[in-house]
Amino acid sequence: MPDLHEPDLSAEVAGIRLRTPLIAASGTFGYGTEYVDVADYSAIGAIAVKGLYLAPREGASPPRIWETPSGMLNAIGLQEVGIERFVEEKMPRLRELSVAILVNICGSTLEEYAELASILDGVEGVSGIEMNISCPNVHEGGILFGCDPLMAASVTEAVRRRTSLPVIPKLTPNVTDIGVVAHAVEAAGASAISLINTIPAMAIDVETRKPRLANVVGGLSGPAIRPIAVRLVHQARQAVKIPILGIGGITNHEDALEFILAGASAVQIGTMSFVDPSVWRRTLDGLGDYCRRHRVASLSSLVGGLVADVNAVPQGW
Amino acid sequence: MNRDETTVLLEREALSPDAFLLHFQSETLFRSFLPGQFTMVRIPGRSDLLLRRPYSFCDAREGSFSLLVKIAGRGTKALTEVPVGGEVSCLGPLGSAFPFPGDSQKPVIVAGGVGIAPFVAFSRALARRRRAATVLLGGRSARDLYLRSEFEAVGMDVRVSTEDGTDGHRGLVTELLPEALEGGEPKQLYSCGPTPMLLRVAAMARERGTPHQVSLERRMGCGMGCCLGCVVYTRKDSAGEYLRSCTEGPVFDADAIAWERDPYPL
Repeated sequence: MPDLHEPDLSAEVAGIRLRTPLIAASGTFGYGTEYVDVADYSAIGAIAVKGLYLAPREGASPPRIWETPSGMLNAIGLQEVGIERFVEEKMPRLRELSVAILVNICGSTLEEYAELASILDGVEGVSGIEMNISCPNVHEGGILFGCDPLMAASVTEAVRRRTSLPVIPKLTPNVTDIGVVAHAVEAAGASAISLINTIPAMAIDVETRKPRLANVVGGLSGPAIRPIAVRLVHQARQAVKIPILGIGGITNHEDALEFILAGASAVQIGTMSFVDPSVWRRTLDGLGDYCRRHRVASLSSLVGGLVADVNAVPQGW
Repeated sequence: MNRDETTVLLEREALSPDAFLLHFQSETLFRSFLPGQFTMVRIPGRSDLLLRRPYSFCDAREGSFSLLVKIAGRGTKALTEVPVGGEVSCLGPLGSAFPFPGDSQKPVIVAGGVGIAPFVAFSRALARRRRAATVLLGGRSARDLYLRSEFEAVGMDVRVSTEDGTDGHRGLVTELLPEALEGGEPKQLYSCGPTPMLLRVAAMARERGTPHQVSLERRMGCGMGCCLGCVVYTRKDSAGEYLRSCTEGPVFDADAIAWERDPYPL
């Protein structure tokens, strides 16, 4: 008889053991140590660090952020320190956190991604590589790779060849059929997929008639995008067997469970961590309570557990 | 050490029809903030306002701190509508503080509108060390000169200007600056206010070789150095880079800021 008082909330994704199913999303948790004073790291299963190129990057001109209804619009343009400084200065401190580390990489060319994978392959403490092929705010690379199934597959394969680490492409929602892209990267050797990156979006100040962001277009995150993200995870689940890391506007355990039931093995939290650093502990405790209430011994047994019959239960709203 | 603390609104003082001094109860923040630092504020239950908003700490009384809030948009409006006794969540204290002037330096403060907010606590800290500053306060009209008596109460030499001439010098606050910088001991400038004012102060300080610390207001997503939404372009020697106004700032050495690359619309 499993112990229902202590449900198992751990997860395993592509061989990476996660003590909790909650992952800090790339670009929202810096290089891992910024929140040590205010967030409960014991509730965090992994940290996906800010996207890295081979060289440091300045990023986009400000203004870079704007608030929209239940959403955050951003065009940071991947301001980052470069792989060398990351490995020398940031990795030692990250290792001390004893949490799984996903290193998010980005390149302008296929060879740059491969080079980054090769460098990270020998770095102690790296649990996996998340490939950013979905950033809407850079001019080369990024989303251009993620929108085309053939290019997505090529870059995944190039990375796969240069590392024995789990390889996790982070996909864009900005495609006609997510199943096609997900299937293409799975066939190219992806160990899992992260889904979704921000949705290309835009806001205008009507008084000045100017865009809210200097980059004009940005990426939308936060609760506003959650139903879209849940739908994409659900569709990708039908197309691939590899694990999915669900991302998009998660604020609490119910949101996380939507992604898990749609087929995500673990979830990432980003924007809400800005808003409320207690989101990690709150969400994890909420998942535990849910499991006890529903007599679920292991959270992982709920992955993809969507019940298709919507007529069976009355739904109040 | 940063904390996210639920604080209770103790008092709302209306300073003008659209500016309020809000007093919040918090033993911890009252004790821990340094003048110039800020807090990221969230109003629980207002999920329509997703992101926290940054506010400079204005002043501290026993067991409480205050924020000066002028209504400028949805976030500021919502904060001024929190009822007395209502709760808000304050993350902080965050960012850099005003460095103290050197022993031989006379502090000169230039503030425009709500830009005076961080200088109330700073003036108190100066007064505690028996230092007197010249404080130049500017506003559009007399009603935009907030908390003037707080500076006078701690012995600061306050000079005011209004654009419409309803109080003090008629014109811009920067027109009071040449006289304040003249003669006597070397000066240390501090400024906070609208960008055109800051640009003017920075140019005048540079001409005279006067050291100048500036507090910048920027849109911020997190306040913790992670979203990179609040960056300011800075230059050290010939190399430039974006620094975070939440972490490396909000108080910067004005000489380090590449003003020509940063005409921020706030």
